[in-house]
Amino acid sequence: MPYIYINIILAFVISLIGTLIYRSHLISSLLCLEGMILSLFTLNALLSLNINFALSTIVPLILLVFAACEAAVGLALLIIISNTYGLDYVQNLNLLQC
Amino acid sequence: TLTLTSLIILTLPITTTLLQNNKTNCFLYTTKTAVTYAFAISLIPTLLFVQSNQEAYISNWHWMTIYTLKLSLSFKLDFFSLTFMPIALFITWSIMEFSLWYMHSDPHINRFFKYLLLFLITMLILVSANNLLQLFMGWEGVGIMSFLLISWWHGRTDANTAALQAMLYNRIGDMGFIMMMAWFVIHLNSWEFQQIFLTNPKNTTLPLLGLLLASAGKSAQFGLHPWLPSAMEGPTPVSALLHSSTMVMAGVFTLIRFYPLMENNLTIQTLTLCLGAITTLFTAICALTQNDIKKIIALSTSSQLGLMMVTIGINQPHLAFIHMCTHAFFKAMLFLSSGSIIHNLNNEQDIRKMGGLYKTMPITSTAITIGSLALTGMPFLTGFYSKDPIIETANMSYINTWALLITLIAVSMTASYSTRIIFFALLGQPRYPSLTQINENNPYLVNPIKRLILGSIFMGFFISMNTIPHTTPQMTMPPHLKFMALAVTLLGFTVATELNNMTHNLMFKQPSRMHTFSTTLGYYPITTHRILPYLSLTMSQNLATTIMDSIWLEKMIPKNLTTMQKTAASLVSNQKGLMKLYFLSFLLSITLGLLIAL
Repeated sequence: MPYIYINIILAFVISLIGTLIYRSHLISSLLCLEGMILSLFTLNALLSLNINFALSTIVPLILLVFAACEAAVGLALLIIISNTYGLDYVQNLNLLQC
Repeated sequence: TLTLTSLIILTLPITTTLLQNNKTNCFLYTTKTAVTYAFAISLIPTLLFVQSNQEAYISNWHWMTIYTLKLSLSFKLDFFSLTFMPIALFITWSIMEFSLWYMHSDPHINRFFKYLLLFLITMLILVSANNLLQLFMGWEGVGIMSFLLISWWHGRTDANTAALQAMLYNRIGDMGFIMMMAWFVIHLNSWEFQQIFLTNPKNTTLPLLGLLLASAGKSAQFGLHPWLPSAMEGPTPVSALLHSSTMVMAGVFTLIRFYPLMENNLTIQTLTLCLGAITTLFTAICALTQNDIKKIIALSTSSQLGLMMVTIGINQPHLAFIHMCTHAFFKAMLFLSSGSIIHNLNNEQDIRKMGGLYKTMPITSTAITIGSLALTGMPFLTGFYSKDPIIETANMSYINTWALLITLIAVSMTASYSTRIIFFALLGQPRYPSLTQINENNPYLVNPIKRLILGSIFMGFFISMNTIPHTTPQMTMPPHLKFMALAVTLLGFTVATELNNMTHNLMFKQPSRMHTFSTTLGYYPITTHRILPYLSLTMSQNLATTIMDSIWLEKMIPKNLTTMQKTAASLVSNQKGLMKLYFLSFLLSITLGLLIAL
C-alpha cells in the first residue's frame, strides 16, 4: 500500500481518537470531527486521482456538502447548550435539561 | 315620420347640454322649454300609435360586429316606450319648473338642471332601447345620475352615505343584469329583443333570475331595499323625479319588456310574485310609523313597486305598466307638494312638527288629498283604473293565497299611512313656530302642481280608454271579491282615522316592540349594513395575518417540528448525558475489535 495512504489514514485515526477523548470543552470534539472530515476528503481526492477513475471525483464534493451540513448542526447544538448553561463544559450535560 | 320625430325628441334635450352656457341665467329657462317642446313632439308618435296600433323599430347606426354579434343603435317604439316617454317628459317638465322655485337660492342651480337633464336623457335611452347593450347604457346612466343627484349637498355625510348605498345596491343588481346579457349572448347570439323573443328558448330560468335580481336592485325590492328611504337625502325634485316616477320604474320596465319570456316560465313568475308580495307588505309596515314625510312617501313608492311586481307575477305585464304610468303622476305630485310644505315651513320634514296646513296652503293640501286618494285607488280617480284591475285579477287568478292576502293587507296599509300624512300634516292645530311665512303664490310652484293634479285625475281614464287590452280581464266575479279592494281601502282609512284621533295626545314611555320594528325599517339596514362589512373584514384579516403569517410561515413547520421532537426525545430517551464515558467506551470497543481481527 503506498505510503501516502497510510499517512492520511493515520491522520484520520488520530482525529478520531481526539474526537472520542477530550477533557472538558465540547467544542474540541467538534474540532476533531472537522479534522476527520478533512482527512477523509484528502484520501478520497488522492485515491480518485491516482487510480484514474474519473467518475469518482464527485465523491469528495458530495462529502464536502454533507460535512458542511453536519458542522452546522453541531454548532447549533453547541449554541443551544451554551444558551442553557453558559459554557460548553461536558460535565453539565448530565442534568437532563431541555 | 315616426322615426324622425322620436329621434328629434331625444336630441332636443341633448342640444341643450351641449350649449354649456353655465354662467347665464337663461340656461334654466332654455332647458325647461326644451323639455316642454320635447314633450309636445313626443305626443305625436304616441297619438299615431294610438290611432294605428303600429309598432316601429328604428335601427340606425351599425356600431360594430364582434364575430357574429352585430351591435347597432336601435330604438324600439312599441306600446310601452311610446306611452312612457310622454309621461316621463311631462313629469320632468313639471319637476324642472318646480325646481326653479325650490332650488332658487342654490348657487349651482345650472349644474342641477344639467344633471336632471342628463338623467332624463339616460332614462329615455333606457326606455326606447331595442337591444340589451343600449338598455344597459341607459341603466348605468340612471344609476350614475342618481348617485350624483342624491349627494347634491355633498357636504353632509348622510347624503354621501346614502348615495353610496344607492350605488352599491344598484351594483348588486347589475351583476344579475350582466349575467343575463352573458347568457343571451352565449345561447342566442344576440342582444336584440326581436331575436330573443323569436327564438323563445325553453330553459330561461337562469337569465330571468338575473333579470329579477337586477330589477330588485333597481326597484328596491326586499333584500335590496334600504337605499330608497336613505335616498331621500337628496333635494325634493330629485326624489320626485328619480325615486318616484322614473328611475325606480326602470327595473319594473325591464321586467315588463321581457314578458314573452316570462310567460313561459312559471318558476320566475312565482318568485316575482312572492318577492313583490313581501316587499309591499314590509315597506307598508315600515311606512306606518315613520316620522319624516319624505321617508313615508319613499316607502310608499317601494310598496307600490312591490304591487307592480305582484302584477307581473300573475302574468299581467300590461296592467303593471299602466299602474306604473299612473303611479308616476300621483307620486310625483305627492313629492312636489311635500317639497312645498318643507320649503314653506323652513325646511321642516318631521310630520310631528307640522299641522293645520289645511287652511294656510290650500293648493298643496288639495294636491296631497287628491294624490293620496288616487294612490289608494279611490273609484274613478287615476289609481282606480290601474289598481282595481290588479286586485280583481289577483283575486280571480290561480295564485298563492298567502301572497294574495299579504297584498291585500298592504293595500289597506296604503290607506292607513296616507291618512296619517294627511292627519299630521294638514289637519289639527299648527305645531310649527309661528313666525314662519307660508307663501304659495309663486307660479313656478303652483303650475306644476296644478298640472299634475289634472293628470292624476284624468290620466287613468285616458290611458285605459286608448289602449287595446292585451289580455281579456275577468268580467264576472262574486261581489265580495269585486269590492275587496275598495273594502280593504275603506278599512284602512277608518282604522287610521280612529287611531289617530284616539291616540293623538297619548305618549308612551317606551315604544312597543312592533313600533321599534317599524320605525327602524325592520332592523334590516342596521343588521346587514354592519354584518356584511364586518364578516368580510374579519375574513380578510384571518386570511392575511393568521393563516398566512402566523400559521403557515411560523407554526406549521418550524414550531411544530421543534415541539414534536422535544416531547418525543424527552419521552423516549433515558440517557444520563455522560458524554466522555460514552466516547471512551466507543474507542475501547473499536480498538478491541481491531486487535481481535488482526
